[in-house]
Formats: sequence, C-alpha cells, structure tokens
Amino acid sequence: MKIVVCAKFVPDATADRRFRSEDNTVDRAGVDGLLSELDEYAVEAALTVKENGDAEVTVLTVGPEQAADAVKKGLQMGADAGVHVIDDAIHGSDAVATSLILAKALSKLEADLVVFGMGSTDGGMGVVPAMVAERLGLPAVTLGSEVTVDGTTVKIRRDGDLASDTVEGTLPLVLSVSDQANEPRYPSFKGIMAAKKKPVETWSLADLELSGDQVGQAAAWTEVVEVTARPPRTAGTIVADEDGSGAAQLVEFLSTNKFL
Amino acid sequence: MSFVETEERRALRAAVSELGHEYGYAWFTARARKGEQTTELWQEAGKLGYLGVNLPEQYGGGGGGMADLSIVLEELGAAGCPLLMMVVSPAICGTVISRFGTDGQKQRWLPGLADGSTTMAFAITEPDAGSNSHNITTTARRTADGWSLSGRKVYISGLDVAQAVLVVGRTEDAKTGRLKPALFIVPTDAPGVEFRQIEMDLISPDKQFSLYLDDVALPTEALVGSEDAALLQLFAGLNPERIMASAFAIGIGRHALGKAVAYVKDRQVWKAPIGAHQGISHPLAQVKIELELARLMMQKAAALYDAGEDLAAGEAANMAKYAAGEACVRATDQAVQSLGGNGMTVEYGVASLVAAARATRIAPVSREMILNFVAQHSLGLPKSY
Repeated sequence: MKIVVCAKFVPDATADRRFRSEDNTVDRAGVDGLLSELDEYAVEAALTVKENGDAEVTVLTVGPEQAADAVKKGLQMGADAGVHVIDDAIHGSDAVATSLILAKALSKLEADLVVFGMGSTDGGMGVVPAMVAERLGLPAVTLGSEVTVDGTTVKIRRDGDLASDTVEGTLPLVLSVSDQANEPRYPSFKGIMAAKKKPVETWSLADLELSGDQVGQAAAWTEVVEVTARPPRTAGTIVADEDGSGAAQLVEFLSTNKFL
Repeated sequence: MSFVETEERRALRAAVSELGHEYGYAWFTARARKGEQTTELWQEAGKLGYLGVNLPEQYGGGGGGMADLSIVLEELGAAGCPLLMMVVSPAICGTVISRFGTDGQKQRWLPGLADGSTTMAFAITEPDAGSNSHNITTTARRTADGWSLSGRKVYISGLDVAQAVLVVGRTEDAKTGRLKPALFIVPTDAPGVEFRQIEMDLISPDKQFSLYLDDVALPTEALVGSEDAALLQLFAGLNPERIMASAFAIGIGRHALGKAVAYVKDRQVWKAPIGAHQGISHPLAQVKIELELARLMMQKAAALYDAGEDLAAGEAANMAKYAAGEACVRATDQAVQSLGGNGMTVEYGVASLVAAARATRIAPVSREMILNFVAQHSLGLPKSY
C-alpha cells in the first residue's frame, strides 16, 4: 500500500507570527517554521498503518524552500520518502489552489491512502482534505479520532458534540485525523540519523503539468484586504474583597458585561 | 573547526527538548519530593535511543559520540529533567565496556545500557580515599572460580535503580605482588552486596548510597577487559563523566535562567517589566554569557574526545566541568534573586535548584581538584600533594 501524508510547513505558533505588509500573506521567511503540529498526528497515523501491514509512507509538502524541514521531520519520525513541491508561482495560493497542486501530486504518486491532519495551525480552514478528495474523485473520511485500517477498509470514529459517528470507506481514499487520534512519536536517534539518506524529490508546477496562472495569489478566490494586529493585552479588572462585597461586585461585573 | 551544529544534532536537540518538556520540572520535583524515581522518562528516552547515542550501533547504540550524548542530557536538564544516571550508565560504564570490555561483556551489557533497560552505577569513591583514587582499598582476591571482592564505597548514585555497578577495586599483581587497580561489573543483587541510602539535603530523585561489598563472589568475566589496562580504562571513563557532568550543570543552569527570564519579562511593579531594569537584566546577561562559555568548552571537550584525543580532551573536560559548575551556581542563585520572594517558593521551582546546582561544584570532581589538575598539568606547577 502506498500512503501519502500531506504535511504543511507553518510558522512556529510559539514565535511572534506576522503577515507581510506588501501582500498580506503569512510571513514565512521572518519566523522559524516547522511541521504543523496537527500534521504530526497524520504522520503518526500513517506510520501506525505501516507498522501493522505492508506499506510505504511518503510525506508530501507544498511550500517554500524551508518547507523541506516539514518533510525532514516526517522522515525523522519514520516515513520512507518525501516529495516537496516548490515553485515561486505558488506563493499566496488559497485552499482551492493548494488542493489542485496536492491532487496533481497525489495522482502522480498513485496514493492508495492519503492522510491529512485536521487543519493547519496557521490557515486553520480544514477544508483541503475534502477539496482534494473531490478533485481526485475519492471518498473522504475526515476528522477521525480513532482510525483502524483492515485490508482495504478504513474505519474511523468521528466525535461530535452530541454523538460519535463510525464512518467506513474503502481504499483508495482520503483520510484526515484529529488531534485525539494518537500520540505522535518523537523522532528516535536512529530515525534522525536515517532521515538524511532517505529520498526526497523536488517537483515544480511544470512537473505536475500545472501553469503558474492556475495558482498563487492572483488566482486566489478571495483576497485578504487588510490585516490588523491583535490589540495588546490590557489589564483586567481586579475585584478586591475587602468588606465582604466581593461576590456582589463580581456578579455586577459579569452581568454588566453580559457574561451571565 | 565548525561552530555550526549539524542538522542531525539540531534535530536531536529539538526532539529531546520536546520529550523533556512533556515531563517537566514540576513532575521531576514531585517525584523527588515523594522519594520516587523518574523511571518512565528514563525508559522512554531509552526506547527512543537517546540514552545510548554514544554506544556502538552493533550493540544497539546510536553510533554517535559524547557530543551527541551531552546534547541529550543538556536538553533534558534545560527542560527541567536532568537525568543524573546518564552521567554514569551510558557515559562512564558504557564507554569503559565498549572500549575495553571483552566481546562477551559487550554483548551482555551494552544493548541494555543503550536502550535504558539496564542501568549501571559506578563506584569509585571510598570513605578513606575520597578523590585520592590511589588509596582505594576495595580488593579482589582470586578464587577457584573467579574473584572475591570486598570493600566499602560511598556517595554512589542510583544503586536503587541499577541492576549492576561498575566497581573500581584493586587486585594483587601476579608478578610483583603489588596492588593495582581493576574494574569489576557487580550485579546489585549478588550475595554480599549491600547498600544503604545516605540522607541528602537535596531535592533530587537520584539517591546516594553507601555500598558494602562483603566477599562478593564474582565469575572470572566480571573483570572488565584485561587486568593490566585498568588505569587506561578508568581515564577513558572519567572524561565522558566530566563532559556529562558539564552537560548536567549547564542544563540546570539553562533551566534556571529560562525561568528567571520568563518571570522578569512578565513581572511588572512600576511602569515597565522588571526585566527592563539593568539591576535585573545585567546579571542575567552575565549568566547567559557564562553558561554559553561553559557550554562551548564542553563542546570542545566532547569534540576532542570523539576525535580520539584523550589527553587533550582530559584538560578540556576538566575545564568545562569547572566552568559549568560555576555558571550553574551563578545561574540558579541569580534566578532566585530575580524572582525575589517568589524565588523561594515551591510554586516557582527555582529555590529547589540551588542545592542541586551547588552539588555540581563538588561532584563528580571538586572545583579544587580541577584547579590542582590545571595548575599541575596545564601550567606545569609543582604537585601539592
């Protein structure tokens, strides 16, 4: 079985994240990036399938030069190979264009099982798995909190607020997993040392028979018109209970602000 | 010479740091206060191959060196989980056995040391010998089936978690009749082995013991390598010990500094965070410089050791250990000072680092013994004892 994990390189959420002033896209050069934490669950899910059967795991990323780090992390965790789609024309692509690039690359890779995380930690739209499935004409089994692969059957548990669904599909299909699905492994020392020797291919848009005008910021269906930084944190109200009226003050505060 | 850390080492640093933070200092001290051990972290680090990065691949190790192993301990310490037994089990014992052990000894012990399923303690210090290893009185007598070992050791770390202990003793030279050093691997559950905990005023999950060896019967293969190579073996093990002791101290220092910096960035008493005041920021900047300098010397010692330059590594490892102990003490002290009264609370978790930091100036080799070494060997000054 050929498993492909779609992994995104995102700015480190613990760093100071910014947008570029010239085109209102995420500043990827100015901050350290890494494999999106939510995609680590996807890598783990793929590696678990591999350990329980015969499979080859490829990590696929679309992104600028530093995005190679996301592939590398997947390889260190235990994936077998990597593909990095890189092209200047991709800059500013929206989810629709991203799904187009991924779908082309996945066809080329002849993936039986495509695994996504539940969303990226930067864009956070969580729509790409469904879009890719639509483009490939494959079933999408999404937001799995528990995943079992038995032969060609993929079964997930999807937890909602009121109920948990059990959803089943047959390979080939697109799977996305939630952050409840597993506990992503740390790269072992052997994994770290072996990663360097694993094959990573670099593809351009031309390799995927795509042209620059199909993707990128100009082709995006939406435009970010304005970016405003989050206002700095202001000091909260401190209710000092000096005369026993603290509870009343607290209730007053909560009701005036319509918290109650 | 390159100061650029390889991609693999950066990845190792990041992975170990993440693992260490998953457990963290609150967990680590809670265990220590309850007198419990930190076995889960040890086992998880072992399974990931982090504890055996320096051991040969053919025996389950990572095939790396002391530079790699010191990264592991430094990052665990910086995350608040300095695993003391790393200094002993993979670094001293693993090195001695992989460099000087017989094939049988390597096969028997190294895979366990590499994956953490075996922990081996190290026993050199004696009540009447202290740092003077020439006065060691623990003695092995030849018997019909091997050896009989008797003696007493003190300040032996981690005997409660160790399956075996590497004991520095002496044997009678067959030709001259004089006593000469010899290293023995002794199972901690062998008849005649007893150990008692020494109560320490330290908040540490790693406990100290007195070890009593009373006619412990050992097979012939308990003696590490050849009988004549013991001094070489000892020195081969002590350089990794010092490099790792440096990593231990630097890790604790980084942890303390990290806590202090986070606190002074946030704590506001007048208009600006207190970290804006030079009375607060300058001492922390000094600590940062001293930790970096100590770390640089540790990295030099590790690089020399890994390049097979034992002699040069010895000097650098001693200097690194000195610098790391001093920087660690300064870092924890300044962290407490930066936090003011909060620095003495359990909640903020810096006061508990002070005693541990203080110990890094003493163990495994005291500041004074290092100064003796540098005075005598680096400066060529007369021996004082």
